[in-house]
Amino acid sequence: MKASSSTYQDTSIWRFFSSVRLAVFLLITLAITSIAGTVIPQGESLQFYLETYGPSLFRIIKVLHLNDTYHSWWYLILLGLFSTNLVVCTLRRLPFTLKLFRRDNLAVDSGRLLKMPFKKDWEIKGELDNDSIQSISSAFKEVAGKFHERIDVDGGRLFLAERGKWSYWGIYGLHSSIMIIFFGALVGLFSGFKGSVMLPEGETIDHIVNRQTGEQIPLGFSVRCDRFNISFYDNGAPKEYRSDLTVLNGNNEVARKSIVVNDPLEYRGITFYQASYRAIPEVAVWVAKSDSPARSLTISAFQKALWTEEQLSFGLMKYLPSVHGSPAAQIWIEDQEGRAGALWLLKGNEKQFKKGEKLYRISLTNANQRYLTGLQVKKDPGVWIVWLGCAVLIVGFSVVFWVPHRRIWLWIGRRKGKTIVILSGQINKNKLQFEKDIRKIEDALDSSLGAR
Amino acid sequence: MTFSSSYLLSLTTFIYLGAAALYLIHWIFRVQKVGLLATLVTAGGFVIQTTGIILRWIESYQLGYGHAPLSNLYESLVFFSWVTVLVYLIMEWQVKRRVIGAFATPFASLAMAYASFNSNIEDKIQPLIPALKSNWLIAHVVTCFLGYASFAVACGLGIMYLFKNRFSGESKGIVGVIPDCRVLDELMHQTIIFGFLWLTLGIITGAIWANDAWGTYWSWDPKETWSLITWFVYAIALHARFVRGWAGRRIAYISIVGFISVMFTYFGVNFLLSGLHSYGSQ
Repeated sequence: MKASSSTYQDTSIWRFFSSVRLAVFLLITLAITSIAGTVIPQGESLQFYLETYGPSLFRIIKVLHLNDTYHSWWYLILLGLFSTNLVVCTLRRLPFTLKLFRRDNLAVDSGRLLKMPFKKDWEIKGELDNDSIQSISSAFKEVAGKFHERIDVDGGRLFLAERGKWSYWGIYGLHSSIMIIFFGALVGLFSGFKGSVMLPEGETIDHIVNRQTGEQIPLGFSVRCDRFNISFYDNGAPKEYRSDLTVLNGNNEVARKSIVVNDPLEYRGITFYQASYRAIPEVAVWVAKSDSPARSLTISAFQKALWTEEQLSFGLMKYLPSVHGSPAAQIWIEDQEGRAGALWLLKGNEKQFKKGEKLYRISLTNANQRYLTGLQVKKDPGVWIVWLGCAVLIVGFSVVFWVPHRRIWLWIGRRKGKTIVILSGQINKNKLQFEKDIRKIEDALDSSLGAR
Repeated sequence: MTFSSSYLLSLTTFIYLGAAALYLIHWIFRVQKVGLLATLVTAGGFVIQTTGIILRWIESYQLGYGHAPLSNLYESLVFFSWVTVLVYLIMEWQVKRRVIGAFATPFASLAMAYASFNSNIEDKIQPLIPALKSNWLIAHVVTCFLGYASFAVACGLGIMYLFKNRFSGESKGIVGVIPDCRVLDELMHQTIIFGFLWLTLGIITGAIWANDAWGTYWSWDPKETWSLITWFVYAIALHARFVRGWAGRRIAYISIVGFISVMFTYFGVNFLLSGLHSYGSQ
């Protein structure tokens, strides 16, 4: 069993993937190749690259997918190799870590203790009775913390104060956190979406458009924009973009929130972000046929307004907020037969137009801006996995670099015909602090032994 | 108010320049008293700069804007210099080697000089644009700049290491006062660990913020990518210790390359590349 596992571990491919050298090589490669996507604009049309870089560089860009570097085949291969290296490297350390973790640190003899980097010994005249040993060990406990004890080690008694043995597992947390983050990203990629929508004030949508594919994605509920508002500082810089949104389930209002940049609305795992806005003009007109009562119509840009009784449709072609102090609009009018014409209206000035045999009167009564709010919409069930990975990364990193495995031994026994007390210690990081700590223990024992 | 924040911050520029000069004199002419003076001048400058930053914060409230002074290039340069001095002073207090000051304070004074004397850098207090109005602004900027400042100090240590290593035979003179390569290596390692943690936290807080603002925690924007490149470089430095023959000199080189990458993340991206972080160049 043991033999087979070791041959398995020694195959050359396993060894190749488990080397730190490969890790360093991959990190260097990732660092250098990542530069490409920051120098070359990403996600532009192929035409753009051909015009900007010329035909020969264009070919390289196309083959290496440098227009979308971080999703290109070779970058994904690098990330794949990096992950494999990380996993194999970490797994390969496992038996070694287990051995360190399970090691019986009480299985030492006085000779080895005297060879440790931090050590101090005292020679005691005469024999030590149980009471003296008790007082020495309690002095040790006071400064070194809780300890384990073993009698009859190399003809003496051994005390071990051990701390932070578990810190050997920190590296597994640290390395697995990267894999957790990758996993969270994949979950988001396969079970989430990113989209956007331009929503006019007062209107409701129940689907959005996928940013990448252009497909329509049904939301499963609807969202209405009640109001959009933009405010400015005194110096003219924008201060706040705000959309008042209402979530509707059928006809029931189920949620309501004013969203601003940095404060989105979330409903059923789908989040709506304030991303942009557009102002479109909207004019109100008053129209009448000579023999019928007048009525008013609202005409927005990019939308037809209908006068159903007369089967006329109106459109807004141009809008000028001020012509000699009054708003003006160019209106386009079309009847059922497709006869179309345009005319300019100035607020307060009535005009006439003819369609076929009929004569109409029209006048501009009001004009204002109507806002469309631009919303970014996304669903990403993987984001919490990513945050979990980030937390594990920080905790793992702190454990790896700042939690030491500290061992302090105290041995009391007879060696070469003399009674000896040995204090020694080992630590795997932060040696400077350890030297201070062990000095303190030394002083405490000094006074405890001196007082005897 | 007789002392405005801009007056105090301009004053800091000259104090740090003076401190850097004193540290250099202390190192080259080995005058102990000048070393003590350099420390006092640096600490004094630090107090004045801290006051300046707090005043600027208060002034922004008086103007009706009310935001932490971390919102544009000028304020970030001031903060970078402040954190660099803070990290250095802590190190001096712990290690008690003033020579390092000759390699660390120049970064702080250069940042202040650049902020104060470059006419393209707007030093007026401006209102926050909607994208920056977030509780994550302070957390993101503070963590990133703790990282940047640590890497500046690590770069100084790397330069010292290479200098010491180049003239390793000499035990006297200006080389002699530089700490041992072994000590420098350990200090550099510890500083990189410290900086790496903050850079990682900076990237994470940035990701959380981006997720709140734009709905994506990572969008391969040039600034994000460059922070990742920097992260890779220091990850190399941390792993290189475990590769035979890489410790010491090579890590010193990585520390210098890493800081170049930090500088590019900080300035280069703003001026040479376009992206979502454009407010950093104003």
